[in-house]
Amino acid sequence: MIIKIAFKNIWRNSLRSWTVIIAITLGIFGGLAVISTATGLSKMRQNNAIETYISHLQIHDTNFLQFSRINDTIPQKAELISYLNSSKLVNGLSKRIKTESFIQSAGGTSGVILNGISPDNEKNVTRIYQKLNHGNYFQKHKRKPPIILSQILSTKLNAKINTTVQCSFVNSYGESVVCVFKVIDIFQTNNSLYDEVNAFVKMEDLKAYAKLKGIHEIAVKLEDESNVETFRNELISKFPNHQIDSWRGIAPELGYADKMMNLILIIFLIIIMLALAFGIINTMLMAVLERKKELGMLLSIGMNKKKVFGMIIWESVFLALLSGPLGLLCSYIAITTFAKKGIDLSFAASGLRSVGIESTIYPYVENRFYYIISILVILTAILSSLYPAIKALKLNPSETLRTAN
Amino acid sequence: MITIKNIRKTYQSGDIEVQALQDISLTIKPGEFTAIVGPSGSGKTTLLNIIGGLDSPTKGSVKINETDITQLPENELIDFRLHHIGFIFQSYNLIPVLTAKENVEFLMLLQKKNEQARNERTLKLLKAVGLEDQIHKRPNEMSGGQQQRVAVARALASKPSFILADEPTANLDSKSSENLLNIMQRLNREEKTTFIFSTHDQRVIDKANRIITIEDGKIISDTSQ
Repeated sequence: MIIKIAFKNIWRNSLRSWTVIIAITLGIFGGLAVISTATGLSKMRQNNAIETYISHLQIHDTNFLQFSRINDTIPQKAELISYLNSSKLVNGLSKRIKTESFIQSAGGTSGVILNGISPDNEKNVTRIYQKLNHGNYFQKHKRKPPIILSQILSTKLNAKINTTVQCSFVNSYGESVVCVFKVIDIFQTNNSLYDEVNAFVKMEDLKAYAKLKGIHEIAVKLEDESNVETFRNELISKFPNHQIDSWRGIAPELGYADKMMNLILIIFLIIIMLALAFGIINTMLMAVLERKKELGMLLSIGMNKKKVFGMIIWESVFLALLSGPLGLLCSYIAITTFAKKGIDLSFAASGLRSVGIESTIYPYVENRFYYIISILVILTAILSSLYPAIKALKLNPSETLRTAN
Repeated sequence: MITIKNIRKTYQSGDIEVQALQDISLTIKPGEFTAIVGPSGSGKTTLLNIIGGLDSPTKGSVKINETDITQLPENELIDFRLHHIGFIFQSYNLIPVLTAKENVEFLMLLQKKNEQARNERTLKLLKAVGLEDQIHKRPNEMSGGQQQRVAVARALASKPSFILADEPTANLDSKSSENLLNIMQRLNREEKTTFIFSTHDQRVIDKANRIITIEDGKIISDTSQ
């Protein structure tokens, strides 16, 4: 009966109750919309980075990343590659050699990292081959060694397709080498910072110019991103003389963004719950003060304080139980719809590309957030109804019956 | 049996001490139909509140069937009221979201009576107050007289030792008042329930078999008729 009265009580002022329900619904929807968009942005930036140039894991000689010396090649290469190929967790791997070089054309000069790759292997790890203007991933070329430049570098050097560019660097013997490449295609990723300093050549060409036997980098893509840290630890224990980094270690800014996003999500949740709490406190306090006489009557005729307290709490819980699922349902429908369609931000495409983000954002929210928010909404409702409920308990029946309206 | 001994009630109104009740002693026997009368501010409602355990006296004791309710802790007092005292208020004070039947049933639910007992008693009482055809109506769908009759049925539902009615006819027209008084008088006889009213209404006074007159917080007359 107490629960029944509590449920009926919330409809005594249906306009006020609906206002609170809609406010809470919009709060949850707004919060989840921002959370999902921000998470979608973060995930997209992270996935772009992983699939375009980082991959899940990278293996180097322990000195290579620090000094970028051409002779700091990966030790135990064959054993390492054999181990990686035999692991079920590994989806693909790509061997690379990397040389810091000076590139010049008739139209300009720039610094560049020449990435010597095996195109077929690289396809298993990154998606650069999908980012080409003409789709020529080293399949078609003539006598001169081919090179693929980024759109940014191509514009800077004024080097179009079929233009010859000259690169100079120091080979493994410490000799200065000048080599000539022909531009066969232009790529453009969503990260202009990456594009500005990277160019791709065939591994055998760069190896020959650099007189190098080893490789500098092995990029590993796993079947499942969640296994990254486990597999990294496994590799470290097997190959302790190598530098083995996950994408978080290679591009810490992505990891920080991930952590910052989690912090933002917590702050958003706190803001949503505070708004919810104040909404409920305000409504329930008004409901208690308006019903002083009735509450006094209930205490007079023999309804004990525990039951009066419970009735007020139940009223808040009902408000939360009505608005919580409504908010979650609206959010779920909106998020799943836009997760498929995407949110088109093409009007800000160039700005987004400069920070490694595509112009269509796909909102994403982990299912656990729906559960967490449901529990938090109910807890907040209960906690925020405590004050009005305690206020109700302090009513003096004889005074409320005499003075209240 | 209600035994009131040397009840004194003092209020503090700003710097002034107001003596609402001064050394009131009286005994009310089971089955009485008693009216407490007096001008406004004489202390009728204060006395009724103290008898009902809604207010505590500054001094003195109120014994109801050997239980001194002035000594009971708050939770026990609420429980005592639930089982021993019925209340009828001037402005009906029904629970607006419940139907007439649910309002009458409410106290029996608090008493944890079973469904069959609740239904039987609810229907019996609503029939006794002439509202058997209004059981599914909410208070706002009933007239003032009908609401007060539901309040009478509610007060009797818990089978209390006595019923306190604070000016029960004050908001009713003469026909409704007459009707209500007849019903209460009949229930007083049939249910053997003690009724104690505070009232200005001469019709109530005429029906009462004992009239206690209070002025300035003192009993100035106590007559039976």
